[in-house]
Amino acid sequence: MSSSSTSVEKQNFVNYKENNTIEGGDPVVVFLSKENMSLIRVKKGEIFNCKFGSFKHVDMIGLQYGTKLGSNTGRGFLYLLYPTPELWTLVLPHRTQILYIADISFVMSFLNLKPGMSMIESGTGSGSFSHSIIRTLAPTGHLYTFEYHQERADAAKKEFEDHGLSDLVTLQCRDVCKDGFNMEDKVDAVFLDLPSPWEAVESAKKAFKQDKIGKICTFSPCIEQISRTVIALDEHGFADIQMYECLIRFNEIRVIPMWTIDEAMEKQRAIEKKRKRAKPRVLREQQDGTKSSSQQQDQEDDDESENNNNSKSKSAKVESSINESHQSSGTATPKSASGSDMEDVAEPRERIDPKSIAIAKLPAEQRGHTSYLMFATFTPVVHESSLTEAIACEAQGIQDSH
Amino acid sequence: MASKNSPDTINAGEHVFIKMPSDNVKCIILKRNTTVSLGKFGTFNANDIIGRAWGNTYEIYDTDSKTRVYQLDEINKIEETENNNREIVDDPSSQKLSLEEIKALKSEGLKGELTGEEIVNKIKESNASFDKKTAYSQAKYLQKKGKKFHKIFTPIKPSTYSVNEYFYIKNPAKIRDIRMDTLSQLLSYSNVHAGCKMLVVDDTQGMIVSAFAERMGGKGTILGLYDGDNPNYDVVKYMNFSQEILDTIKVLSWLRLHRAPDEKSPDELQDVTKLIDKDLEGYHRRIKAYNIVEESRKILLEGCFDALIIASQYQPESILEKLLPYVQGSRPVVVYHHAKEALLETNRWMRKSSDLLAPQLTESWLRKSQVLPGRTHPEMSTWGTGGCLLTATRVIDKPVQAGLTKRERLEVEKKNAEIKKLKRMREGAENVVATASTQLSTHTPPAVPSASASCTSTSDTAAVSVSSGEAETKITTTTTITTITTLKATVEESEMAITEVEIGEPQDGDERSTKRIKQE
Repeated sequence: MSSSSTSVEKQNFVNYKENNTIEGGDPVVVFLSKENMSLIRVKKGEIFNCKFGSFKHVDMIGLQYGTKLGSNTGRGFLYLLYPTPELWTLVLPHRTQILYIADISFVMSFLNLKPGMSMIESGTGSGSFSHSIIRTLAPTGHLYTFEYHQERADAAKKEFEDHGLSDLVTLQCRDVCKDGFNMEDKVDAVFLDLPSPWEAVESAKKAFKQDKIGKICTFSPCIEQISRTVIALDEHGFADIQMYECLIRFNEIRVIPMWTIDEAMEKQRAIEKKRKRAKPRVLREQQDGTKSSSQQQDQEDDDESENNNNSKSKSAKVESSINESHQSSGTATPKSASGSDMEDVAEPRERIDPKSIAIAKLPAEQRGHTSYLMFATFTPVVHESSLTEAIACEAQGIQDSH
Repeated sequence: MASKNSPDTINAGEHVFIKMPSDNVKCIILKRNTTVSLGKFGTFNANDIIGRAWGNTYEIYDTDSKTRVYQLDEINKIEETENNNREIVDDPSSQKLSLEEIKALKSEGLKGELTGEEIVNKIKESNASFDKKTAYSQAKYLQKKGKKFHKIFTPIKPSTYSVNEYFYIKNPAKIRDIRMDTLSQLLSYSNVHAGCKMLVVDDTQGMIVSAFAERMGGKGTILGLYDGDNPNYDVVKYMNFSQEILDTIKVLSWLRLHRAPDEKSPDELQDVTKLIDKDLEGYHRRIKAYNIVEESRKILLEGCFDALIIASQYQPESILEKLLPYVQGSRPVVVYHHAKEALLETNRWMRKSSDLLAPQLTESWLRKSQVLPGRTHPEMSTWGTGGCLLTATRVIDKPVQAGLTKRERLEVEKKNAEIKKLKRMREGAENVVATASTQLSTHTPPAVPSASASCTSTSDTAAVSVSSGEAETKITTTTTITTITTLKATVEESEMAITEVEIGEPQDGDERSTKRIKQE
């Protein structure tokens, strides 16, 4: 019992589990599809239900993370994934708008985040970014995160505890725009995701380690917020103000057929040919007028299969005559290859079409804007060290001599 | 040696990027007691900045290349004036100073007799049309001139960001065009952090390895596979890594992936006791090289990597095939390539692989803006591509039941093929049943409304309720009824077969493959 509890303590969203094995009490991201994931705690006796059936938690115990697990009915399966900050971003309960991987990644890199650093984040929101930051600052760094909304703060605090991150993060419920961070000479980086970030700039300046370079980022959806913040940053002596927007484009990859115009015309010609032959026979039948019910049934069935085949011909007789003309054209013309291509249309899944190509297509609609990312540098306070003093004295001397 | 240096200060013997007023960046190795030339922006003494904190901007201010911390001016706020550009004509004579006079000013500036600001002021005053310009235009003019004549510079600390920016602008081909935003996403997707074990095929001259090493801070292992005589991780040396961090980077040649049958240790080849001094040196060198290979190979064969990252000039699928078995379950696999097309086939391969889950091809988009009060707008030129990422998760395609033998697996596959057929038949049958039962229900309006309602729900109940409806109303469409009963049988049969075979799902002997690695 004690050993299992220590393993729970050790394991968190920041470090992978050493043996990579799922045990009771472990968090697991259950993957059904990209759009359907959820986080569960493995507990003996509990059952996870979804559209693919029931999955007993007890069956998960002892499996490696990443394992495919079949349901009790055998009708479906899911994957048991390790909860990383990236997956957490996709499964977390939204309490606010959250940051996604494009902005998270770019901000972390621009702020030069790495193990051992200290950082301020405000507001905590749903804790999406917090998890990524903590992962990167661990095991020796620390995140100070501020949230002015009491319920959101409580919920985030509980999540940090549940995810084994309490030692790496300090959460305060505080309105930093009004009351400041109340921190001095403490952090390497500051991230402000606030409605009015300009109100927090002065306090942020004090929080930076005063003898070191520091980086600040403000995250604002509106250009008006940027205008006000840039003035505040400038007034407080922040240097090198830059602004970026970053988006991720997700490609859909498909395999599409690529026929030559000759092949397409060959196909067209064949169809034309069949139509010509088929027509008289159909007409003859129409003139006959009477049809047995079984014949009708036949025709219906054929219609159905034709629809599946994307064929435009409407009659069973026509279909059969196509098959005939297929054979005849196949033997008569040297271009029999194009004849077999037409069969590919009927059964595209049966073999790989050598004339198909893979394409990457951007979705018609996608995210066009998240927020403006504005960065600035905190310049270390210049102390009159012996070197600078010497320089200053000399400078004074030169000016005097002039 | 390097580890004694503080990462917070500018140290002698380390790489430093120097940003100049023109926004150009120069990379130097800072050496004590030397002067650094910045071309037209002057020279400075290295000693003046050694030991200082990063982050300040310096001004070269006198004839002796003396430097002092430059106090940044506040961004000049623009007050709108009545001016507009109606009066401005393109006239080179508006600048009253001749080219020679400006050159003279420049050389005075270089000698330190004039500050950059003084030069800019003189040029501004001699420009006849300056006062006619709009406030925005004036600000732009001063900024432009300042970039030419200010003698300021900013030392920039090498980091993943600054090193990438430097190479992306200077020589993008060197780092295979990986732009900062794409690299940062690669870092996120690969979930790199202190203490993890990364397997990397890095042909970006070490850009990715450097980024990992920085994010791991000396804890964990990075194993880089390389081809050629030596690993080309040139970028790593710009990062000023401590020895502790450098020690986390291990390399292994593709040629040494597995022990060659005729491979022998230097001990086996030579008898040490018989070597004379001269040969002994070579022997020690060989032993060292041999041990490095042995160690790296051991790291690889132990497997259990926390990520596989590929940014190679070689076909990604061929690399995935070889290296996937060494990666643990639920770990990211990320392939970078500067061309999207190169990843399309890999994506196809990944989709077919039962070891990889949900491949996803992404491309990043980045735009920089000028941000000044009243003058904020996207920059006029922007970047083209920053490369593409193909990401997936390594999964373990484990059978639900105990492992099957090869023959059993083949049988299951055969059965599954049959099931597919049956399923198709069943679908067809259901359709017919549905249409037939609706036909029936129209014949029996008041008698069995419940029966007709349940008809569409499932095929089995449909068939049953239809036959009960038939009993009550005695409908004589015998042909339809027979079809339904036979179809009902087919449906039941297919259903049975489906549940029967799906229990034993086809699987890949993944566990065995990991076992195999361990045995090796």
